[in-house]
Formats: sequence, C-alpha cells, structure tokens
Amino acid sequence: MYKLNKDIYSNEPTSVIRLSDNACIPFDPANTDYANFKKEVLAGAELQDADGNVMTDASAYIATLP
Amino acid sequence: MPVIIDGTNGITQAGEFNSSGSFGFKNRIINGAMVIDQRNAGASVTATTVTVYSVDRFFVQGSVTSKFTAQQSSTAPAGFTNSLLLTSSAATTPSASDYYYFAQSIEGLNVADLGFGTANAKTITISFWVRSSLTGTFSGAVLNSATDRSYAFTFTINSANTFEYKTVTIAGDTSGTWLKTNGVGILVRFALGAGSSFLQTANSWGTGNVVGATGTTQWISTNGATFYITGVQLEVGSTATSFDYLDYGRSLIQCQRYFEQSYNVGTVAGTATSDGCALSGGSVGGATTGYIEGPAYFKVTKRASPTILNWDLSGNVSKCNRTLSGVLSTNNSTSSIATIGTNAFSVNSASSANANIIQIQWTASAEL
Repeated sequence: MYKLNKDIYSNEPTSVIRLSDNACIPFDPANTDYANFKKEVLAGAELQDADGNVMTDASAYIATLP
Repeated sequence: MPVIIDGTNGITQAGEFNSSGSFGFKNRIINGAMVIDQRNAGASVTATTVTVYSVDRFFVQGSVTSKFTAQQSSTAPAGFTNSLLLTSSAATTPSASDYYYFAQSIEGLNVADLGFGTANAKTITISFWVRSSLTGTFSGAVLNSATDRSYAFTFTINSANTFEYKTVTIAGDTSGTWLKTNGVGILVRFALGAGSSFLQTANSWGTGNVVGATGTTQWISTNGATFYITGVQLEVGSTATSFDYLDYGRSLIQCQRYFEQSYNVGTVAGTATSDGCALSGGSVGGATTGYIEGPAYFKVTKRASPTILNWDLSGNVSKCNRTLSGVLSTNNSTSSIATIGTNAFSVNSASSANANIIQIQWTASAEL
C-alpha cells in the first residue's frame, strides 16, 4: 500500500510513502522503488491520497506521473 | 600481460595491453572484495521475492522466500579479508518457474565503453574466488536491463570447502539494447538454483530472463550448503588480470552512489543513537512558529533521486527528535521528507509547539 506525500512548497504530491516500511519514494523515473510503485498500483495495490483516502482512480493517476 | 626487460630488446610486452583494461576503472564490479556492508554490519539477511541487499551492491532474490541467507564473512582466500557467504536454509527442489540467485547490477554509465549492442562489442572477462561445501558445475548469467539478452556461463568447483580461482570470458553481445545511462547497463547473476524457465544453454547469447545454465548444480537443494565468493571482477579483454584492489575509502564512496546512511558504517539503520545524525535549526532555523525544517546533504551524489527512510534518535521510523527552546529534546516527534534530489533532501516537522532544532537519522537508496 502507498500514500501520496505532498511537497510542502507546492502542496502537490512529489513523492509517495510505501506504507510497509514508511519509505519516502520520490517521483523519479530512474528510482527503482518508484518504478515498482507504479507497477504495483497498476496491478491493484492500494494507493491513498495525501489525506489517507483510498483513491478509486489510482490507475488513471499513475498514468499522469512521470 | 608480461613485461620483459633484458639487455637485447630493452622493454617488451606480450599480450593485450589497453588503457581500459589496465588503468583507471578496470573492475566494473563495485565492492567485489565484499569489504563494504553499510546496511547490515555483517548480519545475515534472508532472501525474499524482492531484492534484498547483503554486502553493498550485491543483492539476493528467490522466487520463494526464506530458502537461503546471505551475509558478509571473514572467511576469505589469501589476499582478501572478506567474502559474501550464502547459506541454504532448506533442501529446496526448484519447480520450473523457480529461481534463487545473487547478483550485482552495473550502472550503464560504467560500462558504456564496452559497446554492447553494437558491432564493436568488446569481450569481457569475469573472475572471482569461490568456495562451496558442494562440488560440481555451477553457473551464472550476464543480462541487459530488459533481461531479453542473456549469456549463461559455467564454472566448476573441484574441491569442497576450498577457495578456487575462476575466470569466465564472454564475447560481447552485438545485439539487443544495452543501456549507457544511469539505468542497468549489465546485470551479473550467480545461480544458486533454478527451474527450466530460468536456465538456458551455456556459452552463447540468448533471449531468456535466466539466472544460469541448464544442467548445473542445484545448490539450493542441499540444506545447509554454503557458498563463499570474493574478488569478483568484470573487466574488458579476454584475460583475467589481478584483482583491482581499491582503498577502503574509495570503495565506500563507490557504494555510496547507490546507498548511504547517516549512521556510522557498521551501525544498522534504526539503531537508537545520535551519532552522525542530521541536525537542522539553531540560529538559522530557530522557530517562532510550530514549523521547522532543514536539509540533509549526501556525501556522494546519488545515481537517481533516492528513496529515503528516516528515524528519530531512539529508532522510531518516520519520526524526528524535536527540541523546543530551553526544553529537553523529544523523540517520536512528527516528521516529513520533501524535495528529494540527488544531492540532498529536506526534513520538516510541524507541531503546535515552537522548536529550534530537529534531528534525524536517515538512509538513502538509489540502487539499480
């Protein structure tokens, strides 16, 4: 499971928290954990918004990420 | 590559002599002598279905969890102080779709000169010292990032529980896509056991996502079997040359491009300690509101923006130590990570109470 993490300056998500270990994963396509995050969410893993609400449109959101 | 000095011919040199194989970055494997173990400080890790790192840059993986362990060992051949030790945890018979291996991914920027995927692909030689409780023919594989180009190689262990030196020479691949970027340039795997779906014929380039060669030893099938390896070197050319020893400091710096921690080397992340912690605040960050933040800088620029984990000084994950002016510091305070780049990230802490210092411990992983 993952939870979006908002940037304190832009107030937009620029990273995601992997809830199994609380790792903060930046939205960098070269980051292996980020690639796994996108793969897992597209395969059905739960994604929460920054407020902790489960996103029902997670796959569509993933498609907007770098 | 002998160099001969005599009174007749002066200085002569036989064999291949080239700059890429003789000077500079000869060994494309990082931490091949297994001396750096930032994460585990010699402790054992258990292989799972996802990559798990033992000594720096070397990871283990198995299709079924908990079938073997890995750890840094002080058992080593002459000239080395450490090895990577794999120990089988059960007598496991791999099904067709099973695989068990350890590996290192080499960054594309570090093998761009090899010309893989072109007509000018260079021959490479892999050399290493190995020791196992089992004898027989073992194997490994060299792959590209997409794992759709692969070369399975073999080597034979003749005597049980004895270190032996092995070399494998591979003609460079002239086909496929081989990254020259900060992605995976070459993936080197050593098989501990696998089913038919992850094995292919040895000594030729193929297209399978494999870990080794067909017909080789299923080390994973013997409970308690051991496998030590050190002095791993991948170099340009058809001849294995002496291991490219680096001083400890340079080996550590090489590893820290992929993983770094604020803790002292030898301290496992999450340990309750303030040694090495990142500190923000003081006269610069003194807060008059409930919010405080500051940067944590990496010692080495990362391959990519890394994944960050942080702890307070008592080992509570995702927390910080927060000091209110004139008041004792408090662990288990809220914290958040932001602005992660290849050189630094920032940590912030928001609270209803003012603070003038926050402290965290952290790890940063940009592994391939």
